[in-house]
Amino acid sequence: MTDTAVQASGLTKRYGAFTAVDGVDFTIEPNRIYGLLGRNGAGKTTIMQMLTGQLFPDDGTLQVFGREPAEHADVLRKLCFIAESQRYPDMFTAADVFAAAPWFHENWDEAFATRLIADFRLPAKRRIKKLSRGQLSAVGVIVGLASRAPLTFFDEPYLGLDAVARHIFYDRLLEDYAENPRTIVLSTHLIDEVANLLEHVILIDQGRIILDRDAEEVRGSASTVAGPTAAIEAFVADRPVIGRQTLGGLASVTIDGRLDPADRQRAAELGLELAPVSLQQLIIHLTGDDLAASSEGEEAA
Amino acid sequence: MDDSRPIFIQIAEQVENDIIDGALAENAQIPSINEFAAFHRINPATALKGVNRLVDTGIVVKRRGIGMFVMEGARARLMEQRRAEFAAQYVRPLILEARKLGIDVESLAELIRSERTEP
Amino acid sequence: MTTAVAPPTTRTETRSRAHEIWRIVRLHSINPSVFFGIPAIILAGAWAVVMVIGLIAQGAGATPADLENMRYSWAVISPQWYLVVVGVQAVGLTFSFALGFGATRRDFWLGTAVMFVLVSVLFAAVIATLVQIEIATGGWGLGVHMFDALWYGQTNWFVDFYTAFALEMLVLFIGAAVTTIYMRWRIPGMLIITAAFTAVLLGGIAWATLTSSWAAIFEWFGALGLVGGFSLVLAIAVLCGVGGYIVIRRATPR
Repeated sequence: MTDTAVQASGLTKRYGAFTAVDGVDFTIEPNRIYGLLGRNGAGKTTIMQMLTGQLFPDDGTLQVFGREPAEHADVLRKLCFIAESQRYPDMFTAADVFAAAPWFHENWDEAFATRLIADFRLPAKRRIKKLSRGQLSAVGVIVGLASRAPLTFFDEPYLGLDAVARHIFYDRLLEDYAENPRTIVLSTHLIDEVANLLEHVILIDQGRIILDRDAEEVRGSASTVAGPTAAIEAFVADRPVIGRQTLGGLASVTIDGRLDPADRQRAAELGLELAPVSLQQLIIHLTGDDLAASSEGEEAA
Repeated sequence: MDDSRPIFIQIAEQVENDIIDGALAENAQIPSINEFAAFHRINPATALKGVNRLVDTGIVVKRRGIGMFVMEGARARLMEQRRAEFAAQYVRPLILEARKLGIDVESLAELIRSERTEP
Repeated sequence: MTTAVAPPTTRTETRSRAHEIWRIVRLHSINPSVFFGIPAIILAGAWAVVMVIGLIAQGAGATPADLENMRYSWAVISPQWYLVVVGVQAVGLTFSFALGFGATRRDFWLGTAVMFVLVSVLFAAVIATLVQIEIATGGWGLGVHMFDALWYGQTNWFVDFYTAFALEMLVLFIGAAVTTIYMRWRIPGMLIITAAFTAVLLGGIAWATLTSSWAAIFEWFGALGLVGGFSLVLAIAVLCGVGGYIVIRRATPR
């Protein structure tokens, strides 16, 4: 039995002259919650489509549960992919989707699904075509949770879901994950909301991985220092700077790397203010347009 | 949960605070990993890491199959530890800031005394 | 949570290929109106129209000989157009859904083919039987021809069944096969296949005209006979089935 859920190396997908995914290497360990993060068009969906056998890679090797996923029923049976733009047969109701789900997902929990339908107040008898965007997302979320697939992908699972529904999703996900550990990959823009759910973060930008670390390692790994420009320059002298803003004689600089108590004291002595950088802010710094060029240098980080 | 420090450390500190202020008595059972995870909406692995930190420092003991409990004498040890950290964490920044504002140590002491007597 | 070596819970019972394929058939029939209900309604609607025409004709004093002209109404094949759409949607929408649920392309196509065959058998049996009933009841007591029309009702139940089956298979597979081309090569693929088909058709017409072989071609078709002609139809359907299988194996859902 293999150790890793997913092993990708040199994974590449091209569309004509455009390279959507550019030779990425990563592994996904079983029974963890991953965040696959990045801007729109970064290549997140393409990666998930390759991992679930929906797209054929152009280059590189890909093993999901020890085997190439595409057209291998024994692998695909263990996967569940909740796609942002999932299409449904024309006449389907949500109830039809849930009726078909156990034929494809052998761990399907009917009682759990029923509870989720009530939680999300989903009109299950209504045709999918007539559902609102949020209700459509709820259908996907319910399938993704109740299928209990060993490897579940949620691609932007909650477009149109309100804050209450999103928190129901987080709560049910954590609850059920605690009881039935499995590998979950979450791809989303709402990074601040999910940051604490993640055990590992893979950040992708322009088809490449620019950060692949444990979430705990990422947290507090960057700080923003604000104060008089001269003092800032003295403080950040030899630190990796990933963001910089100036206003008159004042500067606000984001630095990569953890600050120890001595650093904090020195900052205080220089009259500088320290502020934590959230995962979302860090990602904005790492993938922002203004720093697109300099972030290349951060890849090794 | 704040963003500046790892969450597992914050989880551990929260339990320590509860022990210090008596919310968690010695020998009392602390919440399970999954309860921590659900309450704070955090990954269970993170909660586990926080609790393991408490186990490693001898604040909490795991009893297999039953749960996790506050160790005998944990409160006294935590108090002692926190007192040691107090000067560095609170007093030194206070003096630094006071110096910046031209308040000497004598005036500072006077301020503290008057602050304490106010309602 | 340390890295566990054991994979998450997975049932140990083996899944047979037949099971994998059968669940696609079930997926197609989860909403029976698509393959069965709507075609039945279309057929029933056409029948009602034919009956009303029959009543009006009778009121106007038409003779059974006059009503013989109804043999040339296309009412009996009215559901076929809809079934082309069903074939298109089976691939256009259900394919994407089935792959999202972890079906393989191979099993999806095989399951879809099984579904098409089952639907065709059922419809052919219904049509062939209705032809016999219409003949036995003297055109539903009005002398009308709906099912006993076109090439139907000329010989026996089995020939009607076979021809209806072949036609049904063709409309379903043609819609599905053309959609696989879209699924694999999108709009450019559709344009190329349309252009290629048109070129072959025009080339054939040009060849037949220039070599003055139209008479020979019609003769050849005539010699095929009813069963032979519909065997050709069935062959095209099978060709679409095989072609669709080859194309869909590398197709990507939208």
